[in-house]
Amino acid sequence: MNIMAWVLGLAAFLLLLAVIVWRAGINQRALRKKFGSSIASPMEEFADEIAGDFLVAPTPYPKTKPQHPEIPWHYGADRMVLMVRDPNWLFAYWEITAAKQDEFSQQYGESAWSSSRPVLRVYDVTGVEFNGNNANNYIDFAISDYVDNWHLDVSRPNSTLCVDVGRVFPDGRFVTILRSNLVHTPSMEVSNLVDEEWMWIEGIYRTITRLHPGSSPMMLEDVSQRMGLVPLGISSPEFAKPGHNGNVS
Amino acid sequence: MNKGNLCFVLHAHLPFVRHPEDEHFLEERWFYEAVTESYIPLINAFDELVEEGVPFRLTFSVSPTLITMLTDGLLQERYLRHLDKLIELAEKEVQRTTNTVLHPVAVMYRDRFHHARYIFAQKYGCNLINALRRLQDLGRLEVITCAATHGFLPLLMTQPGAVRAQIGVAVELYTKHFGRPPVGIWLPECAYTHGTDEILKEFDIKYFFTDTHGVLFASHRPKYGVFAPVFCPTGVAVFGRDLESSRQVWSSNEGYPGDFDYREYYRDIGHELDYDYISPYIHPDGLRLNTGIKYCRITGKSYDKEPYHVDYARSKAQDHAGNFLFNREHQFQHLNSLMDREPIIVAPYDAELFGHWWFEGPYWLQNVLRKAHYDFPGIDTITPGDYLKKYPCNQVVRPCPSTWGNKGYNEVWLCRENDWVYRHLHIAATRMVELAGEHAYADGLKERAVKQAARELLLAQSSDWAFIMHTGTMVDYAIRRTKQHMQNFLRLYEQIKTNSIDESFVGDLEYRNNIFPDININHFKDKNPEAYSATG
Repeated sequence: MNIMAWVLGLAAFLLLLAVIVWRAGINQRALRKKFGSSIASPMEEFADEIAGDFLVAPTPYPKTKPQHPEIPWHYGADRMVLMVRDPNWLFAYWEITAAKQDEFSQQYGESAWSSSRPVLRVYDVTGVEFNGNNANNYIDFAISDYVDNWHLDVSRPNSTLCVDVGRVFPDGRFVTILRSNLVHTPSMEVSNLVDEEWMWIEGIYRTITRLHPGSSPMMLEDVSQRMGLVPLGISSPEFAKPGHNGNVS
Repeated sequence: MNKGNLCFVLHAHLPFVRHPEDEHFLEERWFYEAVTESYIPLINAFDELVEEGVPFRLTFSVSPTLITMLTDGLLQERYLRHLDKLIELAEKEVQRTTNTVLHPVAVMYRDRFHHARYIFAQKYGCNLINALRRLQDLGRLEVITCAATHGFLPLLMTQPGAVRAQIGVAVELYTKHFGRPPVGIWLPECAYTHGTDEILKEFDIKYFFTDTHGVLFASHRPKYGVFAPVFCPTGVAVFGRDLESSRQVWSSNEGYPGDFDYREYYRDIGHELDYDYISPYIHPDGLRLNTGIKYCRITGKSYDKEPYHVDYARSKAQDHAGNFLFNREHQFQHLNSLMDREPIIVAPYDAELFGHWWFEGPYWLQNVLRKAHYDFPGIDTITPGDYLKKYPCNQVVRPCPSTWGNKGYNEVWLCRENDWVYRHLHIAATRMVELAGEHAYADGLKERAVKQAARELLLAQSSDWAFIMHTGTMVDYAIRRTKQHMQNFLRLYEQIKTNSIDESFVGDLEYRNNIFPDININHFKDKNPEAYSATG
């Protein structure tokens, strides 16, 4: 009962507010009509139009878009996927199903899950046929129980890598829960391997090194410039630069 | 004599943006603007060269999503209506600016739009693919393909079937429209990773491009750097981008497009003129938009801008064309002193840079191609296909995984803003491979549902969505599109698996997302899963 009264009161208040604001909007528009809109710069004009429409119409402007379509986050499949971001960084995501977790508990005891901590173990398996035990070396990343994806700074260009999500027991023992696919990181430099048949021409490389190979110097500008390209926001209002109000006519 | 080969590559692509439910869908304007400002002016520039008898060669990549939009009846009709409104506005502008300094510019726009209408409607029957096919058949363009929906292939390689479908569907669509299979491909975002070339080879694609370091950082040091192609172990050729020629056009500081005499992009009358006057030509909801009519030249770094002068800009574009070729000539002279064969300089650009962003771009390009023929006998314009015929023997290396995005690798498409999409795209690809295996011989409604599932997956895979999430503009649309196509896919998958296909649901999706009507789902089938190790 109390709640109903609150809701009604609030609705009445909002209605009153809307009417007041609406009248103010009319007055403002009348004034503008009277003195001509040339007083206001075009940007202000635009802002006024938005505000006016927003206040008169119950639908906010720009129109509120419907909710995003819902898609699941978990798919009920155990998986661990490793992806390459660049020569130094990897990205991994995973899903451990309840069944998989149960399996772990059955094998290592009821309290094993809570007494162990989650770790991502990245193996460097460059040049080896990985069987689980013959990695060149590995790096551990401590993570929390509440994450299911991670960006990993491994700093290993031109290497073959793979990652396990697993648990580490207090005694240091590591148990793999899921293992990822293999990835190979890109190189960051000109190769030291040369073909005798295709002996490299040093002069060519000298011209190119002058141009800073590898970090593609124009790339940053690329992206900032591409902001102006179809389809990257050409029709978006944000595209107008601030202070974009000069009159052309 | 000094001799060099200049290989221009224009990559034309837009994501599939077609919303039959709403005539004024904001994002459809990407397409209209690109048609008016880039595709028609470029085609016009090439056509004029053909009429003059200039024997140029240029490589033009057109993405399957763009082919679909350019050949779609609904979008053609809508574009024509859009263009007619623009002509109406340009006519009004000619009146409004009478006796002002802006008048000649207004007249220029009016004439351009009328001419654009002539080219679009009369000359090519509302289908610009006719223009590209004609230019290819005349021996001027080498039109190549791109992945079906511009999927970012290195990050889809965990399911090779998904990559195979991106390529196979593209090759089939290309062949249908151009009457021959494509000889080359533009990999979306110039993104290569190991294994991609194996799939290209399956479709008999002869070459692709990488960024400079894709070739330069290859497994073995390439003899000629990026000034000759290399072969992957599969025999597919790779052409690396030349840095110098890219920088002259791309760079915002040193590049030509920033010249003060060129047209200023940001000062559009859609944002600047009185609301009541401009409102019929912007979004019906009142949202101000670019119209394409812009009266200022860049003028300088400050905010104050001076009126645009067509003659100044054109004369500058001619100078820049001469300067570009002069620099290439020097580059070739230097390379000729080092190399025992003719070098090739590969200069790839987004087609939409020309005209839309750099207004004078198509005119500049036309001048480069013309001057190269008349004034620079040492420079031949060439396509990769031509070069491979001239030099069929090339060094074999494994290219370095790379992209032409910021920093040169995958970060733009795999960062905190968009990393979530892959857990969905990958599982959907796995499920699609499963559907393709189980229902290869399905017919009737089931066949329709499986095919539509494939379309929804391909549409979700567009690299554009991840890119837009990265840039931070129009993000809502990109997220919505990703989720909507994923949701459609997952529903179809459930319905197919449980034998409960909702015909009206399938029909509605076929109507909305009508891309690739003849899609062949066999491309998704896992051929030999062991052959690929995911490297993306």
